[in-house]
Amino acid sequence: MNINTPIEEREFKIVGKSVRRDDVLEKVTGEAEYTGDVKLAGMLYGKTKRATVAHARIKSIDVSKALAYPGVKAVLTHENVPRVLHYGSPHPRSASCTKDQYILDKKVRFWGEGVAAVAAISEEIADEALDLIEVEYEALPAVFEPEDAALPGAPLIHEVGPGGNLVLDPVRVNRGNVEAGFAEADFVLEGTFSGGRPHPAYMEPNVCIADWDGSNKLTFWTSTQSSFMVRGILAEVLGLPLTKVRVLVDHMGGGFGAKQDCFQHEFLCALLAKETRRPVKMEFTRHETFIAGRARHPCRIWLKQGFKNDGTLVARDMKLVYDSGAYGSHGPGVTIVGTTAATSLYRCENVRLEGRCLYTNTPINGAFRGYGVVQSYYALDIQMDEAAERLGMDPAELKLKNVVREGDIAPSGHPILGHGLEICLQHGIDVLDWKALRNRDRTPDPSQPHIRIGWGVGCEMHGSSAYPGIKEQGNATVKVNEDGTVTLLTGAAGLGTGAHTALAQIVAEELGVRFEDIGTIHGDTDVVPWDIGAFASHTTYLVGTAAKMAATKVRASVLERAAMKLQVKPDEIDLSEGKIFVKAEPGRFMTVAEAMGPSRGIPAANIVANGTYEPTKSYSFAAHFTEVHVDTETGIVEVKRVIPVHDIGRVIHPIAAQGQIEGGIQQGIGHTLTEDYVIDKKTGRSLNAGLVDYKMPLSMDMPDIETIILEAAPDPGGPWGAKGVGEDPIIAIGPAIANAIHDAIGVRFHHYPITPEDILKALREKGA
Amino acid sequence: MRRFEYHRAETLEHASRLLVELGDDSFLFAGGTDLLVEIRERLRRVRNVIDIKSILGLSDITYDEARGLTFGALVTVGRLERLPLVCQRYPNLRAAFASLGSIQVRNRATVVGNICRASPSADTIPPLIADGAFVHIYSRTNMRVVPLAEFFTGPGKSVLAKGEIVTGITVPPALDNSGKAYLKHGRRKAMELSTVGVAVSLTMEDGLCNDIRIALGAVGATVLRAPEAEAMLRGTALDAATIKTAANKAMEECTPISNVRASADYRRDMVGVLTGRAIKQALEAFA
Repeated sequence: MNINTPIEEREFKIVGKSVRRDDVLEKVTGEAEYTGDVKLAGMLYGKTKRATVAHARIKSIDVSKALAYPGVKAVLTHENVPRVLHYGSPHPRSASCTKDQYILDKKVRFWGEGVAAVAAISEEIADEALDLIEVEYEALPAVFEPEDAALPGAPLIHEVGPGGNLVLDPVRVNRGNVEAGFAEADFVLEGTFSGGRPHPAYMEPNVCIADWDGSNKLTFWTSTQSSFMVRGILAEVLGLPLTKVRVLVDHMGGGFGAKQDCFQHEFLCALLAKETRRPVKMEFTRHETFIAGRARHPCRIWLKQGFKNDGTLVARDMKLVYDSGAYGSHGPGVTIVGTTAATSLYRCENVRLEGRCLYTNTPINGAFRGYGVVQSYYALDIQMDEAAERLGMDPAELKLKNVVREGDIAPSGHPILGHGLEICLQHGIDVLDWKALRNRDRTPDPSQPHIRIGWGVGCEMHGSSAYPGIKEQGNATVKVNEDGTVTLLTGAAGLGTGAHTALAQIVAEELGVRFEDIGTIHGDTDVVPWDIGAFASHTTYLVGTAAKMAATKVRASVLERAAMKLQVKPDEIDLSEGKIFVKAEPGRFMTVAEAMGPSRGIPAANIVANGTYEPTKSYSFAAHFTEVHVDTETGIVEVKRVIPVHDIGRVIHPIAAQGQIEGGIQQGIGHTLTEDYVIDKKTGRSLNAGLVDYKMPLSMDMPDIETIILEAAPDPGGPWGAKGVGEDPIIAIGPAIANAIHDAIGVRFHHYPITPEDILKALREKGA
Repeated sequence: MRRFEYHRAETLEHASRLLVELGDDSFLFAGGTDLLVEIRERLRRVRNVIDIKSILGLSDITYDEARGLTFGALVTVGRLERLPLVCQRYPNLRAAFASLGSIQVRNRATVVGNICRASPSADTIPPLIADGAFVHIYSRTNMRVVPLAEFFTGPGKSVLAKGEIVTGITVPPALDNSGKAYLKHGRRKAMELSTVGVAVSLTMEDGLCNDIRIALGAVGATVLRAPEAEAMLRGTALDAATIKTAANKAMEECTPISNVRASADYRRDMVGVLTGRAIKQALEAFA
């Protein structure tokens, strides 16, 4: 599709309406089948033995007692699994991943890494057998912080890679002349920023089931966002053609990006099933979702920017360091995306960026909603707020002056079409009467003198699709059945976001049939067209366009057949709400069923079409305004109100879009104030790998969220101008909260999470 | 979940006998909201679970102005939380009950179970200690009554001997001249373990503090009293300056540790803040 194609204006019948989701009935009645619900005759249960050291060579593993334990059917160690070096996240057509994993290795690189696996007739027996496996380690010096990993002479975690503990060569971006920019500046701001290790904590723990049939074909159920990627890597590592690996995934209880890796237990499950010739299930405990799942990359950011006294930004110099944990996973992608994102958001012609990613002996960090950008925009937005303070300006006004505009070069390298940040900010300023809020009476409430109130605003932009890092492709197949119903086949995963409903809406709208007439088939790699995976906020944008293209084709075929039956030319008829009518004589019509079905010796029609779409990228935008209450005695920050103003182009399903925004804000509040997966910096042991001490905000903690979705900046690359909304809402809330805390108590924080102890310490230092 | 043997006790005598005969790693099961999680998460080694839910007479709640409030070992937190008497006369208990776990947890969990778990951060313990509650303990040879303040010997440990079972709790009557408060400090509003919990129960006479008990949760091996702070407050009008001095004293009297939830210093600071706030809240009964 040509990116410059004007966006079609039309009156929508289904798009833009919050239709009832196609999966809602089975979910509310508990009938929806998740991977963990699959039960097969003779199924065994697999468990992973996990290391109790952070960095070590395995001297010996004795599995004899475990093998002899009644009910145990197989034990795997590095001595009896294939030794294939493979990617942790093998995105097809992507250069941004690292081949650094073995299924099981002789070396342990983080506390909690799998060193052996057991299959037994029950989960309990498998669990008990783990304790019978004796592992002797030769401990190696370990590093837990990227600073330490970067030192000359630091213990090497991998033998591969560009050298030292670097996951990839430093990512460098240079635009304009930074030195000249700083020379021109009236003042310079410099600061260091850091981010913790938030975890996605999806509701459904990772789970998979492997079953080999008599023809040596592997059927593999797994809770994944990327079933074709799992198929590809399993086939590669197991040495099978793609016809011999079938991956299935139906409903999912979330993923947030983290379920697009290839996990160690998935290989182990397939191998245990092969070894025992019986189906094997492996399901993570909640504890394992932390130690063996994927978290956001902790980061350190140094940011120096030069400003003119009128607020113009003239130079940006930035160094970013991401902590990859023990394996590369998405480290390269996150570093590239997070670093290049800093070319944008606020306009600056002279930019010098350097992003690094380092291995440490800590659990693996991977893809997670906001993908490196949460970190870099936290720094960019907070420093812009500081510049406003320095200038004595309203931060919203300064941000409005500096935000990206139409035609500016985006991080992807192409000009922005459909820029929406300016209008989001302006809209928020207007509806909140922001100037009056800024000038409000700041006298504390006498009944609560320890409470200080603050307002803050944060900005973000985020791409739909991973272009240019990954050359993406969306596919859809649409079939029209002889009764007039329509089947959509898609490889896009349903993480719980309502993506399949949106795709069905798009097909129904384009084709001219009712939403209820669309049936969606997904999650079977033997049946549906190839799919890149559900990530990068791209499903509606990318697969939605492919589905629309396929629907356009079948619509033409249906009209052609109806024209024959009605004995008119195809361009004399139209299709709407399931009826094909002669434009000049609206009373003369036939249903799609009548057009498709057999009649007078003509067999029923077989109308099938594929849509394939290879996009570049669109950007969605948001400004989040928030009110916080800071208790100056306890340090507790309560987020009271959030007014998120988003521009996501054409909205396909308003309630689903709003749900994404509210959920992103909930996660973002957690990451900014309470959530941090803590690794002991002496041993590498996880200190809060569970939901008791990993503090996610719950429904009771949610503020009032007054979501505003604008449709002012559509992108021609998406269906009727639709853009992504998956990742956007988690990015702007963080700096908005940090800025609001500053507004409340006059203290700047450059890190997250901002804990009550941090607040009290800063207040004391300020008072001293 | 690790395998265990399930036993249903029909009487207290039966349950007590099972506890003795089945030996170590045998535990009573009432609400199960802690026990089952601990088995599942492999935090507690359990061979035998003894279900006491069929034992008659452990689900009663009674109140009279002389003896006070008595409830049995099977009374759930949720039932007490919703009891009008608790809402009206024991705002401290009401606050503690309503802050434990979630609604679903409270509808299974028992107050006696929360106490027998003997966690220093248990929400129900500080206000019950501040109110001077005592526990009724059954054994096959002897029945005894122990003040709750003397029940705990360490984290997860109590004075219960092998075969002894807590059958219920009695809380002294709520007097008209009493004020009570429980304040919980955590990072979120539900499903939260206390970082610090402070309970205050006091009585006023002629504008002066007649008696006061302060109980501090999650800042020691057991829930602690703050006797020196209490002594500074007795006989005073509880003016702001005295409250402030006593709150500082309470900070000295606690012995918190640092862990992933908070540092010892921060916990100590919160004892000061919450003690002051809890006394003021208790005094609101007289406003």
